[in-house]
Parts: sequence; C-alpha cells; structure tokens
Amino acid sequence: MSEPRDELESWLSVQVQPLLPPPGTFERVSRQARRRRTRRAVLAGTGAVALAAVAAVVIPQVAIPALETGRQVSAAGSTHGPAASPHHPSPLVSSPVPAPTPSGPAGVAAAPPPLSVTFVGVSTGWVIGQASLTGQCDRPAAPDCVVLQRTDSAGAAWRTVNPPPAHGPAGATGVSQVRFLTPSDGWAFGPQLWATHDGGQTWAQIPTGGLRVTALETRGQQVFAVWARCTGTGQDFASHCTRFTVYSSPAGSDSWAPAGATLTAGAGAAGGAASLLLTGTTAYLLGPAGNLLAGPLTGASLQPVQQAAATPSGAARPSSTATPPGGPAALPCAAGPAQADGQPSRALLAAGASAGGGLDLLCTGPSAGGQQSKTVYASPDGGQTWRRAGLAPAAGTAFFLSGSPSGTLVLATSLGIEVSADGGASWSAAGGAMPPGGFAYAGMTTDAQGVAVPADPAQHAVWFTYDGGRTWQRSPVSG
Amino acid sequence: MEKFRATDRAAAEELFNACYPRLAGWVRRLVDDDDTAHEIAAEAFTRLLARWSSLENPQSYLYVIATNLVRDHWRRTGRERRALRAVSAASQEDPVLHPAQDVDVRALIQSLPDRLRQPFLLYHYAGFPIRDVATMLGRPEGTVKADLHQARARLRAALGESRV
Repeated sequence: MSEPRDELESWLSVQVQPLLPPPGTFERVSRQARRRRTRRAVLAGTGAVALAAVAAVVIPQVAIPALETGRQVSAAGSTHGPAASPHHPSPLVSSPVPAPTPSGPAGVAAAPPPLSVTFVGVSTGWVIGQASLTGQCDRPAAPDCVVLQRTDSAGAAWRTVNPPPAHGPAGATGVSQVRFLTPSDGWAFGPQLWATHDGGQTWAQIPTGGLRVTALETRGQQVFAVWARCTGTGQDFASHCTRFTVYSSPAGSDSWAPAGATLTAGAGAAGGAASLLLTGTTAYLLGPAGNLLAGPLTGASLQPVQQAAATPSGAARPSSTATPPGGPAALPCAAGPAQADGQPSRALLAAGASAGGGLDLLCTGPSAGGQQSKTVYASPDGGQTWRRAGLAPAAGTAFFLSGSPSGTLVLATSLGIEVSADGGASWSAAGGAMPPGGFAYAGMTTDAQGVAVPADPAQHAVWFTYDGGRTWQRSPVSG
Repeated sequence: MEKFRATDRAAAEELFNACYPRLAGWVRRLVDDDDTAHEIAAEAFTRLLARWSSLENPQSYLYVIATNLVRDHWRRTGRERRALRAVSAASQEDPVLHPAQDVDVRALIQSLPDRLRQPFLLYHYAGFPIRDVATMLGRPEGTVKADLHQARARLRAALGESRV
C-alpha cells in the first residue's frame, strides 16, 4: 500500500509543463474580447432588448485600431522587431552568460565553460555548449565539440541544430557563447566571432584582426560587441585584456565598425574587463576603470557619460575615480578582473526600471569563506549620478545581475538566485532545487518568465522561472 | 465603452506571451487534454482582455477564471460520464483516460467543495502565496490557511481510504 501523504506530496510537487498557444491564439482572443466589450457597451447604451437587433450592425463597425496593428506573434509565440516600450530593458532577452572562475581569472580552468543561452521571445531559444566535459574540446583539431541546441517550447523540448564550425574557447580561437536577435540573425563568440543570417544553416566567421570578442549584445536592429586585446590562454581567453573597443554592425549584415573610443585597463596582473548593456534606447559600455560610455542603439559612437553638475545627496562618488562635477562620470566601483568569459567580476551592471535610463549596479568585494560583500547602487539618469540602494546577501559569490522589464533585480550567485523587487533594498532567496555551484547567469525574458544557467555545465540543463523569479525549475538540455 | 489603447495591447500581448504557456500547462494537468486546456486558457484570456482596464491584478484574475472554468468542465464531463454509464450497461469503465499517477488525486480534488478547491489549486498548483490567494478570493489569510489545511486533510484521508 502506498503512503497517502507521499502520494499527495508527489502529485503536488510535479512541475507544470508549459503548453504553447497555437498560432494566432492571441489575435483570436483579442477579437473575441473586442466583441464582448462592444456587446457590453451596446447593452449599457441601448438595453438588452435591442442587443439582438443591432449587434450584427454595430459590431463590425466598431474598430479598435490598436487591436489591428502592433507586433506580430510568430507561430512559436515569439515577438519580433524592436522593443515595444523604451523604458523596458527588453522583452526580447539576449542573455549574456558569465562564467565563474573558481581558480581565479588567471587560473587554468579544468572544466569547460558554462552553457550560454539566448532567447528570442518567451518560447524560442538556443543553448551553446561543449559536447565533451573532459577538456578535449579546446583543441583546434576538434571542431565538432561545440553543440548548439534550440527550443521552440520554452525549454520543454530541445533539438540539435547546426553549430558554427568552431571548437571551444582556447586562447585566441574558438567560441563559447551565443546570442540571437531574431530566429534568423545570430552570433557565436568568445573569443572568435561567427554570424548567421539564416537561422544557423550557415555560419560565417567575422575577421577581428586578432582581437578577441569578450562581450556581445543585440537589440533593435543593431548588434554591439567588445573587441579586446588579450593574452589569456586556454579557456581563460578573456583574461589579461588591456584594451577594449566597442564595435557595432547592423544586425542583418556583417558591417562591423568601431563605435567609440578604446578604453585601457589599469595596472593589474590579470588585466581588466568590460561589459555591454543594451536598454530600449541606449548602448552602455562599462569600462575597466569604472568608466561608463553610452550611445544610441543606432550604432553611433559611444561617448563618456557626463557626471551631473549637481550631485544629489547620497550619490556615490568613489574617491579613487572622482572627477569634478560636469566631467566624465565614474561608477562607484571598477570592473575588476574578468570572469572566465570576459564579464567583470567586481561591477555587475543591469538595466533598471526607471524611465529614461535607470541603471542598477552591484559592486562586489573579494570572496572569502563563502562570503562576499555586495552593495547595490542605482542611477535614475543613465549613470550620471548614483546612490546606494542596499546590500545583497553576503553569502555566495555574485556572478551576474539582471533586471526584469519592471525593474525586479535577479542576482545569480554561487549558491543560487536572489531576487529584489525594491531596487536592491531587500532580497529573497528564490525557491526550487538549486544546482551545486549555483548559477552563472539568471535573466528575465519578461516580468514572469526567465532563464538561468548553472555554473556547472555538467548539469546539462538550464533553469526556468514562470513566476517572476520566485521559483525555478530545471529543464534538461538534450536534443 | 472601455478604451483599449495601443499601450494596453502591448501590455496584454506581453502578459499573454509570458503567462499563456504556464496557464495552459496548469489547466492541462487538471483536465488532461490539450484541446480543452487551450480552450480554457483562451477563454480566460478573452475574459481578461474584455475587462482589461478595470483589473488591478490581471494574472490573479486569469487563474481565478481558469479555476472556475476547470470546475465547470469537471461538472460537465461528470454529467456526461454519468449519462454514458446510464445508457451503456456494458461500459463500466471511465471513458476518459487519465495518466495513472494523476487520476486519483485529480478525481479527489474534483470532489472537494468549491470553498476548499479554489484555494487549494491556487496555492498548491498555481503557486500563488497565501496572501495573494486571500486577495483573489476575498477571504482573510487565516481563513485561506484553514481551508488549505482542511483540503489537505480531506485528500489524505480520501487517498488512505482508496488504498485500503
């Protein structure tokens, strides 16, 4: 006889598998809702007795233009085109995935880098990783080690698709990460750069003149990347980087050109790091010295963000990088050494909810004994001024910070995921079964749905949330 | 007439993209049929969009509506099953096939009174916190907690009886 308590708990613990809408569902639902609104209006205006007589005439004449236009929803449920609202970070997440470096930035990583994930809308996404976990995938003679998989069901099922003909990251060659802007236009990078414009059927390598691509983001109709001069070896391709330049290209072509001044890293054995952040209107480059450049998404040159003439009370101005009011603004902390894929380890930048350029920044201290100080700063004006917003839990090492469209902060750490709905003032640990080693990346595709990548690639899975980051569930990646 | 602006449409579409797969999946687990799950999820969204401007918490509204639609579906299929049994003496089996691991608990949940079933599904299955469930159903949090406790006790007792 089975135990009744166990059976009930077992039934309740089974995760809900998403069921995607058939094509055209939203349009059909919208039409039906419009008819009901119209009927209700007719009822209110003429009375129920007259409804049957007039509805057939009135309903077709009532047009709600907003319902007849707008973005198209594809069969897979993904939206295409530029973000609908400029103050939303992006309903179309192209997700960067930093990799933790347990042995330090200059160390020789024994394990392959974590998976890298990118989503176009809520249903369609790609994961890139290595087929081998034994460190044999970083050899130029092993081009088949890179595996690219695609889902059109929000992770319910994955299938293997054609990857770029490259091996895993090894010094100046190989790839480790992926981004897609649309189902057609995608890029694999880190450190080499490859592009596809036919959904991955064919890939072309983009020459970078020996520079390594350590970050890449895409939004609207443009793609931006950080091309860096680095000397790191093996999988630490993004370590020992000294010069960083933003390049951009129209998403549909491969016309790459510099989009801003070259930034240099300060003194340091491991070099520095730089990261990219794209909001609805602006491309930001976080430089190695805590400097911030910004430019329009059109691809025009990024310029230093200028400090506000009058710094509001409480705004942060770091002593080491302070500049006179009106000069170039500096972040409250420097970028620090690179994580294994080039993302800064000491300054994690995310888009905030404020209209007109809200930004959030997590400044981290050294990790010791499983603890790390994590201070959150917020900027309401695109980085001109910063104020201290709160402290994230000290337990664990922070790997990645991201913001949902409405501004909820999601922090991936070596222990799991922390969520803040009040701009970093207070944090809650997310629920669900967390992988050993925590997460290298967590980001929200919408306010409700998000995806996270475990720090340990041996998990062969990504994690999804459908409740705004409160709980996460595992989605095995196998095609 | 209620206005439905372009911004409303964008927000509604975003909510649809974000919530439909999970809502439909949630319903599927309760009705064990993809087509019915789509019908219920689409109907819930239709009702939501028809009242869009007057709702403070669209997601909560969606799940409450879906819960009621699932209840109606269960009642309807229950009547159909009883009618089938009445006209077919040879048919002693349930004509609706269910996954074995789900059917017992689901059938028992169907038998719960509305007062207990609604908070049970919203809390244990949809994953809303007690505070939200209380708001959705217009009940004090203490009442919701008591209802959940009672629902679980009934289910455990019923499961125990069914296994004896």
